[in-house]
Amino acid sequence: MKVGELLKKIFLVDLFKGLAVTFRHQHPEHVVTEQYPLERPKIAPRFRGMPRLLKNPDGSDRCTACGACVLACPEDLIKVGSVRDEKTKKKVLTTFDFDLGRCLFCGLCEEACPPECLDFTTEFEMGLYSREGTVLNRQQLEDGVQRKEFKK
Amino acid sequence: MIQSFLSYLHSNVTPGEAGSLPWVVIYVLLVFLGISVGVIFMNWFERKVMAHMQVRLGPMRVGPMGLLQPVADAIKLLLKEDLAPTGADKLVFWFAPIWVVMTAFCSFIVVPFGRTHAITDMNIGVLFMLGVSSLGVLGVIMAGWASNSAYPLLGSLRSGAQMVSYEIAMGMSVISAIMMTSMATGTGTLSMIGIVQAQLQQHRWFVFSFFPLGLIAMGVFSIAMVAETNRAPFDLPEAESELVAGFMTEYSGFRWSLFFLAEYTAMFGVSSIATTLWLGGWLRPFPNLLAGPNWELAFSLVPGLSVIVLGALCLFRYTRMPRIREMRPEAVGLAVFGAMLGLLGLVQLLPGVRERVQDIFWFTLKVFFFMYLYVWYRTTFPRYRFDQLMKIGWKVLLPISIGVVIATALIAVRQELFALVWR
Amino acid sequence: MKDEPFYEPLEEVEPGHTFLDSTELTLNMGPQHPSTHGVLRVVLKLDGEKVNGLECIIGYLHRGIEKIAENRTWVQFGPFVDRFDYTAAVSNSLGYCLAVEKLLQVEVPKRGQYLRVILTELCRLASHQLWLGTHVLDIGAVTPLFYAFRDRETILNIFEGYCGARLTNHAFRIGGCRWDAYEGFSQEVTKVCNDLMPKIDEYADLITGNRIWKQRTKGVGRISGEDCIAYAITGPVLRGSGVRWDVRKAQPYCSYGDFEFDIPIGAAGDTFDRYLVRLEEMRQSIRIIRQALEGLPEGPVIARVPKVIKPPAGEAYCAIEAPKGELGYFVVSDGTAQPYRVRVRPPSFINLQALEKMAKGGLVADVVAIIGTLDIVLGEVDR
Repeated sequence: MKVGELLKKIFLVDLFKGLAVTFRHQHPEHVVTEQYPLERPKIAPRFRGMPRLLKNPDGSDRCTACGACVLACPEDLIKVGSVRDEKTKKKVLTTFDFDLGRCLFCGLCEEACPPECLDFTTEFEMGLYSREGTVLNRQQLEDGVQRKEFKK
Repeated sequence: MIQSFLSYLHSNVTPGEAGSLPWVVIYVLLVFLGISVGVIFMNWFERKVMAHMQVRLGPMRVGPMGLLQPVADAIKLLLKEDLAPTGADKLVFWFAPIWVVMTAFCSFIVVPFGRTHAITDMNIGVLFMLGVSSLGVLGVIMAGWASNSAYPLLGSLRSGAQMVSYEIAMGMSVISAIMMTSMATGTGTLSMIGIVQAQLQQHRWFVFSFFPLGLIAMGVFSIAMVAETNRAPFDLPEAESELVAGFMTEYSGFRWSLFFLAEYTAMFGVSSIATTLWLGGWLRPFPNLLAGPNWELAFSLVPGLSVIVLGALCLFRYTRMPRIREMRPEAVGLAVFGAMLGLLGLVQLLPGVRERVQDIFWFTLKVFFFMYLYVWYRTTFPRYRFDQLMKIGWKVLLPISIGVVIATALIAVRQELFALVWR
Repeated sequence: MKDEPFYEPLEEVEPGHTFLDSTELTLNMGPQHPSTHGVLRVVLKLDGEKVNGLECIIGYLHRGIEKIAENRTWVQFGPFVDRFDYTAAVSNSLGYCLAVEKLLQVEVPKRGQYLRVILTELCRLASHQLWLGTHVLDIGAVTPLFYAFRDRETILNIFEGYCGARLTNHAFRIGGCRWDAYEGFSQEVTKVCNDLMPKIDEYADLITGNRIWKQRTKGVGRISGEDCIAYAITGPVLRGSGVRWDVRKAQPYCSYGDFEFDIPIGAAGDTFDRYLVRLEEMRQSIRIIRQALEGLPEGPVIARVPKVIKPPAGEAYCAIEAPKGELGYFVVSDGTAQPYRVRVRPPSFINLQALEKMAKGGLVADVVAIIGTLDIVLGEVDR
C-alpha cells in the first residue's frame, strides 16, 4: 500500500470526510421539511386529484351523458344516468356516480370526455373516516370540496 | 444539629469526605435528578441533531421546537401494557432492567462536577467507575436470558461479548492517563478529583500531554466507549434491520424506558470519565495562564451569559413565529421558555451563585461535547458486522492502547530520569 | 393444504460426529421485516452465524395483474402496468407501450421518443436514489436515505408536472406520449441534472470511501459472470460481475442509439462493485438526459392510433433496460380489443434466484446486504 493511502488509513481520513458531510448539512438552509398543515405543497396543474364535473360559464350542464368515461374506466366505477329530452332529442344528465374508493386516478376518463367536463383537480385532501362518503354523487362532483376555513 | 448541617457549606471537600450524611443524601438526589434531566434532554437533543443532519426538522409540534417531546414519550411509555413473554423467568425478567439502571447510576457516586460537587471522592475513583460499569454487562445477559426467546438471547450474548471486549481497551487507555498524573508530584492517583487537580498542577489537560500520546489515548477511549454503550457504529446487537432489537426485544413500556435510561446514563458515565481524564474535568479554559481575579470574574460570567443568550434566541424565534391561532400555544410556550432561561441566566450571574455554578457548567459542556460526538457518529456511520467489531476490539484497539501505555511509561521514566540526573 | 416441511428435518447424529457439533438452526426472516424491501420471506438455515442455505418464499404480494389484463382493453391496462415495479413506474409503462406498438407496427414520432427517453432516464435516477437510500439504511447508515429521498423528490415533482402523478404515473400511451412537455420542463430537468451531479460525488465522500462501508460490502455476495448468465440475471447485477450487456446498447429501442453513453462494468461481482455500477449509471443517465434535452426535435408526440386499439392477431416480445434489469413484455393478441395474454418478464423475480448462491457461506448480517444489492421490488416479483 502506498504511503499516502497508509497514512489516510491510520488517520481515519475517510471517516472524517463523512463526518464533515453530515456536519455541513446541519445548516438550516438545507432543511426540506414542509410542515404540513401550515405549509401546503405546491401542486402542479396537471395533478390528478379529486374529480370534478365542470359546468359551462353560463351555468348550464356541460356533461352530455355520452358515457365515454364509463367505457374508458378500467374499473367500471362510473355510473351515468340520463333521460332523453323530448324536445331536443339529446340526453340530459340526471345522476353521475363516481366511486372514489376504487378509483385508480389513472386519468383515462378525463382523456375520454369529449366536452372536457370531467376534470381531475389539484385537490388531494380527500380523507374520510368511514367508507360512506366514497361514492360521490353529481352534486358533490359539481361543487367540489368545500373547505372549512378556520378563521381567527 | 442545624449548625453542623450548615457548617458543611463552608468546607471545601465533598460531602463524603466531610462525613456529612444529610448532605450526601442531598447530593445523591441532586445528581439523580440532574442525570435524569440530562437523559431527557439527550432524547430531544439526539432527535433534533440527527434530524438537522438529515435535512429535516425533528420534533416540532409537541411543545415549542419539540421540547416537550420526551415528556410525551415518557407518558406514553408509562401507559403501555406491561408484557412479559410466557415462559420467561419472572424474577430475572423483572430484575434485569433494575440492575442495569443501578449500576449505571452507581458509577456517578465519584463523578466530580466541581471541586466540592461530587457525592464523595474515593481514592480509587476511576477503578470504581470502570468496575461498576462492567457490572452492567450482567444485566444485559440477564435480560436476554430471561426473555425465553432465541433472538434476545443471541442479541444479549453478542452485546455482552462486545462490552467485555472493549472494556479492556478502555482500561488500558485509562492506565496511560493515570500514569500522567504522577508527572509533577511523583505519586499518581486514581481519585477523580485528584486527576483533575493533577491536570491543574501540570498546567495542561492530559489530552495535550506528550503529544500525540494523550490524543491517541483519548481517541482509543472514545471509540471503545461507543462500543461499550452499544451505540453506532457498533450497535449490531440493537440493530433493527438485522434480526430484531437484541436483548431489549421483549421489554415494553416502563421496563424498556429503564433500559433506555440506563443506556444514556452509561453514556454520560463514560463521557464523564473521558472528560475527567483528558479534558480537564471541571477546569475552565486556561486556569493557570489566565489567572487573576479579573479573569476569574470574566470566566464566571460565562455560564450565566450563555444561558441568557439561549433565552434571547428563544425569544427571537418567538417573534419570528407565524401569528395564527393554531400556533398560539406553541408561541406562548416558546416565549415562556425563553423567559425562564433568561431568569435562570440572571440567577447564575449573582455573585454567590456564580462561583458554585462555574465548575458544573464547564464539566457539563465537555460532557455534552462527547454526547454530540455520539449523535454525530450515529448519523454518519454504517454498522459494523459482529466479527469485524470483535476484530477491531481485540486486534486494533487493544494493541494500540497497550502501545500507548508502554510509550507513556517510557517517556515518563525518561522524564523522571532526566529530573534525577539534572537535579 | 398439508403443511409440508420445506427444509430437511434434523437428522440424528451421524457416526463420526459428537453431540458437541452444533445443529442447524432454521431462522425465518418473515414477510414482515424491515429489510426485505417488501413482503419477502426468507428461511435461513444457519450454522451459528454462517448461512448454509436459504429458501425464498414469495407470493405475498400476488395480485393477479396478468390475469386482470385479460379482462381489460389494451388502453385500460395501461395504468395497471405501473403497479409492477412501483418504484420506477415509467419504465414499466414504456415497456408495455413498446410491446403493443410492436404488435400494431406503429412508429412513435421522434419528439415522442426523445420525451420518453428523458422521462425514463429520470425514472432510472429516481429508482436508483431509492435503492441507494434503502440499501445504505439496511447496512446501518441512516442519513443517506434522507439525502437520496430529497433528491428523488425533485424528480417526482417533474413527474407530477408532466403527467399528474408522482408514483404510479401512467405516463405514456400506446402510440407515444399523451402530453407534450409542460412549460418550464426543460429548465426544471436541467436544474435536476445540474443539482444531482455534485450530490452523487457527495455520496462518494459519505459512503464509498468509508472504511466501514467497504468492509461490509467488499467480498460480500460474490457471483461470477458465468453464473449470472446461467441464472439469466440481468441489470446492474450482471454488469457488476463483468458482463457487458445492456439492452439499450445491445438492442436499441426508442432511439437510444442516438445518444452517447457508457455502460459501467464491475470487476469482482460483489456488493461494492454493484454499488459503484449503479452510481455510475446515475451519472450516465444524467448524460443521456442532457443530450436528449438538447436534441429535442419539434413535432407531434403521439402517432395516429385508432381510438379503440385492436392489434392484429399475433404476439410480440419487447425488452427494455429497466433500472432493475431487463424488463420484458410478451403480449399475445387475438385480434380483439382485449389482450389474450400479457406476460411480464420481471427482472427482480429472476434476479432473486441469485440470493441463495450469493448468501451461502456468508454471515447472517450479509443476507440483508445482499437483498439490498439485488434491488428487488416485491411488486415485480409477485405481480
